Amino acid sequence: MKNIFDTIFFTEIFQGLGVTLKHMFKKPVTVRYPYEESPIYKFRGIHYMNVDERGVSKCVGCYLCEKVCPAECIHIETDAGPNGERLVRKFEIDLSRCIYCGFCEEACPKDAIHMSDRYDTVDSTRDNYIINMRYMVENRKNVKGE
Amino acid sequence: MVTVKIDGREVQVEPNSTILQAAEKAGVHIPVLCHHKTLNPFGACRVCLVEVVGNPKLMTACTTPVTDKMEIVTQNEKLQKLRRTVIELLLINHPLDCPVCDKGGDCMLQDLTFEVGLTNVRFDPKPNDTPFDHTNPFIERDIDRCVLCGKCVRICDEVVNIQAISFINRGTETYIGTSFDQPWNCEYCGQCMSVCPVGSLNNRVYLFKNRPWNLEKTESVCGFCSCGCSIIVEHEDNEVYKISEDPDLGVNHGFLCAKGRFGYELINSPEREKTPKIKKSGEFSESSIEEAIEYVAAKIGEIKGKYGADSIGVLVSPRVTNEEAFLAQKFAREVIGSNNVFSFETVNALPEGTYEDVENSDNLIVLNIDVTESNPVLGYAIRRMGRKEETTLSVFYPKVTSLKRVATNFFTGKPSEVYEKIENFINGLKGDGEFKDLADSFKGAKKPVLVYNPYDELDLYYANEIKTLVNNVITVPCRLKNNSQGIVDMGCTPYYKPGYVKTEAQADFRKVLEDGSLRALVILGENPLLHPEYSDLGDILGKLDFLAVTDPFMSEVAELSEVYIPVSLFAEKDGTFTNFEGRVQSLNKTVDNGVISDLEFLALLSARLGVNLPKGIDEVQDLIRKEVPLYNDVDFNGGTVKYPFVLDGAFALKKVSPKGKGKFKVFPGSLRLHSGSFTRRSQDLSRVYAEPAVEINPTDASKLNVGDGDYIILKFEDTTRKFRVAVVKGMPDGVVSLPNDFKETADLFHKGKYLKVDLVKHNG
Repeated sequence: MKNIFDTIFFTEIFQGLGVTLKHMFKKPVTVRYPYEESPIYKFRGIHYMNVDERGVSKCVGCYLCEKVCPAECIHIETDAGPNGERLVRKFEIDLSRCIYCGFCEEACPKDAIHMSDRYDTVDSTRDNYIINMRYMVENRKNVKGE
Repeated sequence: MVTVKIDGREVQVEPNSTILQAAEKAGVHIPVLCHHKTLNPFGACRVCLVEVVGNPKLMTACTTPVTDKMEIVTQNEKLQKLRRTVIELLLINHPLDCPVCDKGGDCMLQDLTFEVGLTNVRFDPKPNDTPFDHTNPFIERDIDRCVLCGKCVRICDEVVNIQAISFINRGTETYIGTSFDQPWNCEYCGQCMSVCPVGSLNNRVYLFKNRPWNLEKTESVCGFCSCGCSIIVEHEDNEVYKISEDPDLGVNHGFLCAKGRFGYELINSPEREKTPKIKKSGEFSESSIEEAIEYVAAKIGEIKGKYGADSIGVLVSPRVTNEEAFLAQKFAREVIGSNNVFSFETVNALPEGTYEDVENSDNLIVLNIDVTESNPVLGYAIRRMGRKEETTLSVFYPKVTSLKRVATNFFTGKPSEVYEKIENFINGLKGDGEFKDLADSFKGAKKPVLVYNPYDELDLYYANEIKTLVNNVITVPCRLKNNSQGIVDMGCTPYYKPGYVKTEAQADFRKVLEDGSLRALVILGENPLLHPEYSDLGDILGKLDFLAVTDPFMSEVAELSEVYIPVSLFAEKDGTFTNFEGRVQSLNKTVDNGVISDLEFLALLSARLGVNLPKGIDEVQDLIRKEVPLYNDVDFNGGTVKYPFVLDGAFALKKVSPKGKGKFKVFPGSLRLHSGSFTRRSQDLSRVYAEPAVEINPTDASKLNVGDGDYIILKFEDTTRKFRVAVVKGMPDGVVSLPNDFKETADLFHKGKYLKVDLVKHNG
């Protein structure tokens, strides 16, 4: 009996239109990327480096992230400083090779390297994909909640 | 043989071996921390405690000797708990700075912590925090990380015999240090550092440069002195990061000297040239290898056509491998057709004794050589021999050397006085004189050994005398450079063809240069300007029709050359070296700095001249086996060569007659860590002695009013030179020493081996 009623009066169409109408008053779900940033949650993006109270990177150059990196995209060079301290000469990550697995974050014994939620790695040359220590310390500022 | 049961495995061992040795034989692993196989048992760390069935007390495996039918348990709940606690206690004061510690990844304490499964320390950890000690130029010291295993103290005492460090204080306040916290009075051999299980003693040359897991290890042979030590080159890509050792390898039992351990930076030196250079109108211009070789070939062809084959010569350095030396003489004798193949090595004294002979000797004489400086690892063998109660070690040398601590008799004095004493000793051997007792004991010894300097004619004369008077004496000629022996074996001398076959035409290097019969010279790595005997030949060499030099560095003689070709160092080529014992050992190519080896140079050059010499290392070795009878059945990985004679030639007795006039007598000494050519290129070794220094005793120094490190003016005949002063105890009064193979000193010693000079303080 109900079926006949539905068939004659097209109730389901109105039901559907009701849903549409409801959504017209809701906030839109689509993000107008790239004009807007998309909201993200628990994302492994471009690395950043934590700093100590003096504002210097916490990294001591222990090579553990380099060792653990499955993509072999981290390159570290260290040396002894003038007073015999450990000096990080070079710390580079090749983002074009990085697979954003987050192992470096896990391996770091000094809580220095972390992954931010930035994902906008697009660039016009490959050279710009190689990021260094300064970039990573700067990148810390882009991390939400800092 | 006794039978022991370890963890259910039965094994037969020698009666006096320890539980640890038995376990090793049985294939059972016992963790150790303070044990090292080259040192005496100590038992400090208690990590190796094991249970012996039927004994209520636990035993340390590294110190307890086995008894027959002993039953040992190495793994159970109780032992696990105990080992964990031992490590836990060590970690109370140990700073957990593994990320910044250079030992991280190679640390015995890390490994043990992991092995016993320790995750946290139950006690209140109080890591020490004292600053690092950087007073030693090669060794960084951090006493916080020390676990007091005592290996460094023991190796410094048992092997090196310097006793620079010891345990200071007692109980929990113990630390490793020097008496009254003085700076280290040491030889910088780095033995302590090599055995340190933790990061308490670190290599400052390698400090923080890399991590152990990144480094690839290749066995090779050291390329500094004639000791022929087996080394392990640790490298990543094309850079050498570290030289380490293995107690199971080679003749040196894992001991190295400062040169071998810390001097490797010269391989990575920025001073090294990478491109060949051709001199055109007085200026060097870079060229390609092909171009340079083409140029050399054309010049040699031209001079050969004009003046004949005998106008061309080859000078070979003792730094090249046997294969290169063999090709060099083949190049001269067969490609060019001239017997003019020279080296500055002595051909009259050949090896006889080995390290084993020295160590097991009961009466040893060191004849006028500072062996601990010239051949440091042979020095360790002599020290080990001298330490034994029942042995007699006699040293004849003008100044007191570090053998003083172990020597039974040490005869010092002015060089002429030392020779007088040697003469008296010879008279003693003949049956009278003041040295009769010593001579009698030497004659009556089971294994008398004579260590001497084969480069000095007077020393050769006395060595020959002793050899003829004592029939069972074993002689050890201390050759200087890594392949000093090999190049003579390979016939790089005008007197002998390979394998000591006498030649007919015998040219003399000085004579052919001075009479102008030599028009062109190819020098392979040698530098005559640093050699006291030939240092005056610079002018003649500069005026030759053609001079080509191959050398890893732009040396003084390379600057005079028309064509300079940079070549590889010992870590960059394959081949073999023959050490002072006559032991042939293979080296392996580890890094490549983009330069050719002397072998390739010779092969390419002879191909240009129309003769194809073999290029591959195996082909050359096959040819050596075929053409050098001495090397026919020698194992190229550690076999010793049997030589046809030990001392050969008529040695003249020439009295010591110092040249010049002056108050002070100078004799050529070996300056610590330097042997002239290679070592000066190492920045790290130069931190200790960057320039030749006059060694003088404290009394003379105070009379002249100079101190350690001051400058002094040395006046000899018409020349005055400025040198640094090193105040050394044990130098006789009125005698000073100066190294003779530096560019600043070689021409002084050209006048004579012993000089009389005046010394004045340098002001300003």
